[in-house]
Amino acid sequence: MTPIAGAVALNLAFGFSILSIICLFIFTLNEDKRLFLTGQRLSLGISFFVFLSTFILWYQLIISNFDIDYVARYTSIETPFIYKISALWAGQSGSLLFWLFILSIFATITVLQNQSKHHGLMPWVIISLSIIQLFFLILTNFVTNPFMPTDADFVVANGNGLNPLLQNVTMAIHPPTLYLGYVGFSVPFAFAISALMNRDTSTLWIQSIRRWTLVAWLFLSSGIILGGWWAYQELGWGGYWAWDPVENASFMPWLTATAFLHSIIIQEKKDMLRIWNMALIILTFTLCIFGTFLTRSGVMSSVHSFTASSLGPIFLIFVFLILIISFSLMYLRRSELRSEKRMESFTSRESGFLFNNLVFVVMCFAVFWGTLFPVISETVRGTKITVGPPFFNQINVPIGLILLALTGVGPLLAWRNTSKQSLIKNFTFPILSGLMAAIIFMFIGFKGSVVISFSLSVFVLATISTEFKRGISARTKKFNESIFKALFAMVSKNRSRYGGYIVHVGIVFMFVGFTGHAFDKEKEFSLTKGQSDHVAGYEFTLLKLSETERPNHYAWISDIRVTDNKGEYVTNLYPEKRIYFHKNPDVNRRQPHSELDIYSTLNKDIYSIFSAVDNENGVAFIKIMVNPLVRWVWIGGYILVIGTMIALWPRKD
Amino acid sequence: MNSNKKFTIMIAGVITVVFFWIGWVSSNPKDEKAMASFISVEKLLNDKMKKRTKLGGLVKDGSIIISETNYLDCSFVLKEGAAELKVKYDRSRPDLFKDGAEVIITGQYLDGTFYADELQTKCASRYEGDLRDESSYKLTEIET
Amino acid sequence: MDYIRDYSLVFIFFVLPIIFVIQPLFLKKINDFENQMDLSSLKRKKRLLYRQIKELEMEFDIGNINQKDLETSRKELKVEVSEVITKINANKI
Repeated sequence: MTPIAGAVALNLAFGFSILSIICLFIFTLNEDKRLFLTGQRLSLGISFFVFLSTFILWYQLIISNFDIDYVARYTSIETPFIYKISALWAGQSGSLLFWLFILSIFATITVLQNQSKHHGLMPWVIISLSIIQLFFLILTNFVTNPFMPTDADFVVANGNGLNPLLQNVTMAIHPPTLYLGYVGFSVPFAFAISALMNRDTSTLWIQSIRRWTLVAWLFLSSGIILGGWWAYQELGWGGYWAWDPVENASFMPWLTATAFLHSIIIQEKKDMLRIWNMALIILTFTLCIFGTFLTRSGVMSSVHSFTASSLGPIFLIFVFLILIISFSLMYLRRSELRSEKRMESFTSRESGFLFNNLVFVVMCFAVFWGTLFPVISETVRGTKITVGPPFFNQINVPIGLILLALTGVGPLLAWRNTSKQSLIKNFTFPILSGLMAAIIFMFIGFKGSVVISFSLSVFVLATISTEFKRGISARTKKFNESIFKALFAMVSKNRSRYGGYIVHVGIVFMFVGFTGHAFDKEKEFSLTKGQSDHVAGYEFTLLKLSETERPNHYAWISDIRVTDNKGEYVTNLYPEKRIYFHKNPDVNRRQPHSELDIYSTLNKDIYSIFSAVDNENGVAFIKIMVNPLVRWVWIGGYILVIGTMIALWPRKD
Repeated sequence: MNSNKKFTIMIAGVITVVFFWIGWVSSNPKDEKAMASFISVEKLLNDKMKKRTKLGGLVKDGSIIISETNYLDCSFVLKEGAAELKVKYDRSRPDLFKDGAEVIITGQYLDGTFYADELQTKCASRYEGDLRDESSYKLTEIET
Repeated sequence: MDYIRDYSLVFIFFVLPIIFVIQPLFLKKINDFENQMDLSSLKRKKRLLYRQIKELEMEFDIGNINQKDLETSRKELKVEVSEVITKINANKI
């Protein structure tokens, strides 16, 4: 009975979304407050029915009701509980319902939080959110319904189950984190559209959505980093970023969102860059939808999606509609959007932010270009030309380095105009530090972009420490506080600013990690017991090869001793070769899998893969990768999260 | 020149530089592995393309031959529809590589053999949802 | 027994929401709404403006803006604050 209730709830949500839009639209015309209240409640009703529907699907997953197609495909009786829960976003229809679920949570919060404010903006905010909900309701009701019954004329005793290879925690967390980011940008977008509809170009809408934007950005950033972490730990190709279309789909909105996050500071303080900010949030939200589309529709020739589905064209239409309607609105309001304030100088913080916007958008375009290159080349030249990481790296490394430089330059520029003396006073120490670093690095033997990257990192860290120092000494002079008290008070009273600087430190660390990639080394070889081989100055000796049978797989375990070029003991590595479903009579259903072992230090990661085993002769085929500085990427990630939390920390007032 | 004009020129300048940069890299990628033409096996055999190409297809059943002397070295036959192509690959093979597997290979064609330096199989473990073999699932009949 | 449970579930999950949604339509026309809303927005705006003034002073202490800019911007903000306070007082009446 309840699966039907789930489908009916989705139907009702669909109906309510249409009613909500109509009701609120009429309100904007006749100002009858009762219509606003009803429209608002209809919006809450949409969310209520979506919640109901989602909880019903979750319940079906938990009780393993295989009469529902979705439950049978993605779970089995043996699937551990936590993965029955995460199965909600394992498949296409479920993940769309999940998107809708998160959107409904955010819509509910937005409506409830704003019951007594923003009276002018709220109608169109709710209309916009309802339209987005409507889109996903159309998909889940009519195109890909998670409550479809199983198409079989006999009782399904057990479902497909979740591939054990997918059963790890990161796999469960990565999609929801990304979705929280994607969906999170709906709210700022809705406020932007509302501001346009209301001809309200004040900073009111910006102030309302600052925290939302930061939270959505935090989730998007975390989701991306988690994805990289998972790829590195689980997939065994030794890297964390492959410029894959699906990865790029999450990176593009991140770029425009980061630009937006910075640019709204200027609008709040100086009422400039209004057109940029509108354009950036529209782009960000569109790219989020586009990202969802790229991941779920199979349109790109990514190894991860061989089949196209009917979802593709529908998403594309939605994306085009969003772009056309939003930018038309912007065009219609262009005279109100244009700011009377003018940029005064190239060496001002305002122009620094403008340039910042430009570089982020340029990088976004570059990634977009590379991602769509196969489609473009096929349309233009008739042959599909695919592009790989070397292409993306060649284009994006210089742009990334410019961004890194800007991270350091920006904070040192003054508002309106930086006087020559200030320029000299602020930039001398960081530039000298960067130059000295460059000389040292070149002396060590590094070349090209490696030197630039490391030197810029030093430069940026120098500027950030200068900022902290300036802030602390301003306080100690004025209030006579101790350094620690000054530091704490300073950060506490300016959480956005100093939280932001800490995020920048995290970014610098990540750049250091990325640069290590230039020094990656790898080698594949075979070893029998007692044999050794060398890679990048390390010696790898196979001590032992053992076998064991575990509940759902069979494993060969290699015990490899690692020593460095001085003969000192480093560690033991235990990569495994496993076969899942090893007892399955159908040989094709047995799944081999290499379980990696990684020895990680600040300096480098030693990454071991047990590729294959020759049982009869006791030979292990091993692949070793020595990846310097990878740890800095994860450390940078943590610092980024901490910095953002500081910026988000709520104030008493 | 008023400052607004200055800024517009700067923005236009940056955009022009960027377009040229992207266009230049697209036409002259530094690394030969940056680009590959994704074509059908049939077209490759007809045109005997020497450029770096990417092909997709299935591993012909029984065609995988692993070298006796070097375990990493293997050859197999790639089948796309009616077209068949002999492939040599000398890196570590992905776990899902076997008879009938769907693969994408990248490399160069020379004198009847395709020398692949990249080989990817339909990656079950990469993305949840897309990875499951959606075409069939365990259906157990209940005896009546 | 079962149908009592079913009917109550239908009532809670389907009938109640519909009542919840159409209830406002039966009220008399509301006029006071607007003023109520504005008061809290105004108070919020006042707080934000005060915070902006404080930030401005901090930027001056650090050396990001000069004295003249500080005075100009601070004056602008103070004008805004007094406008908002006037509106708040007007609303309270």
